[in-house]
Formats: sequence, structure tokens, C-alpha cells
Amino acid sequence: MMNWIYLASGGEGGGQAGGAFFSLLGLEVTGAVTTMWGIMFLVLLLAWVGTRRLERVPRSRLQGFLEWVVETLVDFYGGITGRERALQLVPLVGAFFIFILLANYSGLLPGAGHVFPWLLAPTSHWSVTAGLAVVVFFTTQYFGIRKKGLGYYKHMVEPLFLSPLLLPLGILEELVRPFSLSLRLYANIFGGEMVVAAMVAAIPYFLPIATLLLELIFGLIQAIIFTVLTSVYLTAALSEEH
Amino acid sequence: MTGMALFGAAAVLAIALAAIGSATAQGRTATAAMEATWKQPEAAGDIRTSMMLALAFMEALTLFVFAIIFVLAGRVS
Repeated sequence: MMNWIYLASGGEGGGQAGGAFFSLLGLEVTGAVTTMWGIMFLVLLLAWVGTRRLERVPRSRLQGFLEWVVETLVDFYGGITGRERALQLVPLVGAFFIFILLANYSGLLPGAGHVFPWLLAPTSHWSVTAGLAVVVFFTTQYFGIRKKGLGYYKHMVEPLFLSPLLLPLGILEELVRPFSLSLRLYANIFGGEMVVAAMVAAIPYFLPIATLLLELIFGLIQAIIFTVLTSVYLTAALSEEH
Repeated sequence: MTGMALFGAAAVLAIALAAIGSATAQGRTATAAMEATWKQPEAAGDIRTSMMLALAFMEALTLFVFAIIFVLAGRVS
């Protein structure tokens, strides 16, 4: 029982699932990295094959499917930020959604983590979700500064007589965002995996099915939450002053 | 092993306290959302989206505790 706790905390005794296979340019290649390569390969292949012969009225099923995916994403985020803004944001936010969804689901494939140590959910590692959140953080600053210049930070020092109080709070708020964003995704996926592991350890037959079904829903919801929050942050950075 | 046992007891308590708070808040949110859906069934989609966002924020608090426990578990001997 203790083994998977140490495995999760990254301590020693983690065994093969947490360790690195080999190192590439000084960076360790773990199961999460190989799974992300697989996801990248899958998405790139789909996008390349689907857009090789583009037609105005899609005749191939794959192009129709890809158009449906993009339309659904634009419609969904358009319902939150408005369609104009959604068209601007979906290249980033939609890519995040597809990646996070596939990453969450990759941990539910049969044999993930144990039989195939190179296949495990990348989002169950904090480093992966923290990387995504750092991208969101810098994109927010970039969008805000590009739109309003340094005036983007004006809301932190206005009104001026309150600025000694507001400035630390504003900076703290900006810095806490990537933490909560990444911890939420990581803890959900990782917690789900641990619950499944505990179920398998208790009763290996049939009991984990219910949890796995719940994990299917949670994986989708967490992908939605992460990207919706991202689009909300980016919209706030891009919006005009009131 | 005493350290680990103490840590286990503390962890169970922490998770339980966090879960009580999250569950209460989530229950209130779900109640409000269902009442709103009942009053205005045509707004069900919007209500569901914002309810899920709110629920995720509350869920996250319990999971933060969970993550902290796992991070600390590696340091207890």
C-alpha cells in the first residue's frame, strides 16, 4: 500500500513508472513525456491528413470531423467570451482543450502505468500542468500589454491612495493564478488515479469500473474548466477599461 | 513508523475537514442551480456551465489538501 504513495510523491521506491527511461539533451524522458509525444503525433497526424486536400465543401469525412471540432470549440468558447474573441482565442485555448482531454484520457487506457510504463496520464504530474499554466500566465501578460501597454497594470495602483494595499494584492493575484490553475488539474487527475489504484488494491474485479466511468466525466470537465478559466483570464486582459 | 502513523491520522482529518467544507458549499450551489433551472428551464445550459465552474472551484480546495498531503508524504519517515 505504501508503495504508490511514495510513487506519487516522487520519492524513492517509485519503481519504473515514475523513473526516467533515458535522458535527452540533459532532460529526463519519463512515461509522461513519451505519452505526450504520442498525443502530439496523433494530433499532428490527424491535422495533416485531414487538411492535405482542403475543399470548400468537405467531401472527406476527416475534414468534416475536424471542421466540426473547430466549430464546436468556437461555439462553446464563444458562449463565454463572445464569438469575435473566441475566434481569436481558440487557436490557443482549443489546442489546450484537445491536449488536456487526450492527456486525461490516456491514463484510462488499459495497461497504462503498469503494463506499459511509457503510457501514463501526463496531467497527473504537476510539472506538466505547471508548464501549461506558465504558458497561460505569460500569454495573459503579453495580451494585456499588447492591448493597453503598461496601462494594463494600472488597475493595481488605482485609486492611488490605496496603491500600497492594492499593489501587493494585485501582484499576488496574478501569481496565484497559475498555481491554482495547475494544481486543480493535476490534483484532480492524480487524485482520480489514486482512487482507482486504491479500488484495484481492494477489489480488482468490477469495482473500479464505476470509478473509471466517473474519471471519464472528470477528465472532460477538468479540460473544460482549465480552458474556460484560461479564456476568462485572457478576455479580462484583452477587455477595455470600464 | 510512528511518524507515518501520526501523519496518516492528520491526513485523514485534514481531508475530512476539507471535504466537509467542499461538500456543504457544493450542495448549496447545486440546490441553487436546480432551483434556477426549475424556475427558468430555458436557461438550463447557461446555468449548468456556470454551476460546473463554481463547483470546480470548490472541488479544487479539497484537492489542494489532497495534493499537499501527497507532497508531504514523501518527506515523512
